[in-house]
Amino acid sequence: MLERLVIALVLLLFPAALPAHGPTPQRADETLAIPASPDTVWKLVSSFGGIGQWHKLVTKVTATGGDAAGAERVLTLEKGEITEGLDEVDAGAKRISYRLLKENAQALPVSFYTATIEVKPAGDGSEVAWSARFYRADTSNFPPDELNDEAAIAAMTDFIKQGLEGLKAKAGGS
Amino acid sequence: MKESLRGPLIAILALIAVPALAGETPVLVAVVSQQAGILSLVDAEAGRVAGEIRLPRVPAAVAATSDGRLLYVTHPDLGLVTPVDVAARRAGASFAVGKEPFGIAVIEDGRALLVSDWSADALVRIDAATGRETGRTSIGRSPAGLVVAARTGYAYVADRESNQVSVVDIATMQRAATIPTGRAPFALALSPDGGELYVANVQSNDLSIIDTASATETARIRIGLMPYGVAVTADGARIAVTSQQSGKVALLDRATRKIVTEMKVGEYPEGAVIAGDRLIVANWADDSLCIVGLLQPAPACDGRVPVAAGPRMMAVVPPARD
Repeated sequence: MLERLVIALVLLLFPAALPAHGPTPQRADETLAIPASPDTVWKLVSSFGGIGQWHKLVTKVTATGGDAAGAERVLTLEKGEITEGLDEVDAGAKRISYRLLKENAQALPVSFYTATIEVKPAGDGSEVAWSARFYRADTSNFPPDELNDEAAIAAMTDFIKQGLEGLKAKAGGS
Repeated sequence: MKESLRGPLIAILALIAVPALAGETPVLVAVVSQQAGILSLVDAEAGRVAGEIRLPRVPAAVAATSDGRLLYVTHPDLGLVTPVDVAARRAGASFAVGKEPFGIAVIEDGRALLVSDWSADALVRIDAATGRETGRTSIGRSPAGLVVAARTGYAYVADRESNQVSVVDIATMQRAATIPTGRAPFALALSPDGGELYVANVQSNDLSIIDTASATETARIRIGLMPYGVAVTADGARIAVTSQQSGKVALLDRATRKIVTEMKVGEYPEGAVIAGDRLIVANWADDSLCIVGLLQPAPACDGRVPVAAGPRMMAVVPPARD
């Protein structure tokens, strides 16, 4: 118990003191059918700094570097900021790959992630696949409940699901 | 080659290959499925799982003894190492090692183990029979992958958060050198002659080539997103590197330092090993292995072997000696 309190206190005071990540990765993987053309959805997804226009958990975005590999965006979430970097844009496959550059366990309880969003044609509309591979926020062997694997999976899955719903709403899907 | 010809040709090659191997023990690959907590023994030749062994939770890295009889698996989250009897297909009693044991290698003909301790920033030497710690040296932060050069008696450890490789003299358990690499080195492999060390740098998306004699980095080759696994062919001519986020494997030519082939292998490929003329890649998110025939004119995933959830690291199990 004391150990958990100390860890929580340390985290509160020095969030950057955490190692980049530990050895056990987790995964979140969601897909959603969106009744809008792949081009329409891709335009939203590929605008790296535009995520604030359709993701309701993102209250503010500060982006640099445009929509090309190497671009960065600072996302303001309810409880703080995280920074993401764009790794790869494949316009042909309508796929972007990005990663977490600066973590913030209070804002999102993960210590590192890579993620991919891909837009595929499906029937008259699109199917969007969004997957992430990540680590829990506290990579020590005794993480408190709010920073363990389950917390990381829940937060990441929620972030992706809400993002997909936001994309659907913005793309004009019914 | 025309697609329609490839199938029959592979079948013919397989027919030619089979008689030569009849009666021999198949080469097995030990595959650690981290999410499922299962170690699979895969016959790469036949493309099938030859045995499954249940392990304690969240197993990570695996190493085999040179006689192929025993495997040792690390469990960073539990602070344990588990021995596995290959023939009996049975896990033995786990023993405690350091804080977060991660990378592992078997040394001294199976009498001792080297283990990297992720959170203690140390390389630990263990008596394989008793599990007792017999040596330790401080190295860089978050040490991950580990390889041993038998000829020189050095261990090379990827100090992931220190962006370097630590070179440790195993006899004295003293660090002999540190070699700067790209960002977040994770997996490494030695050339068969021991002259070159290949280090996959996860965060800088490249491969460091290190000259072991001078302990310096001589080249850094751009690979793909998140390189997580590296393996070298038996003749040393090719180096295979997985790019986890690109879903690809690149084959690099040692002489020219150029990527000669790049292929899509699956979702989040991580570990890579080479057994004979086959490259085996663990696709973490597909829960499968991709088996690539390296002698094919256009190497690709000729076979896929489903395994338990979350395959990451692997080791080739040498055929058992009598």
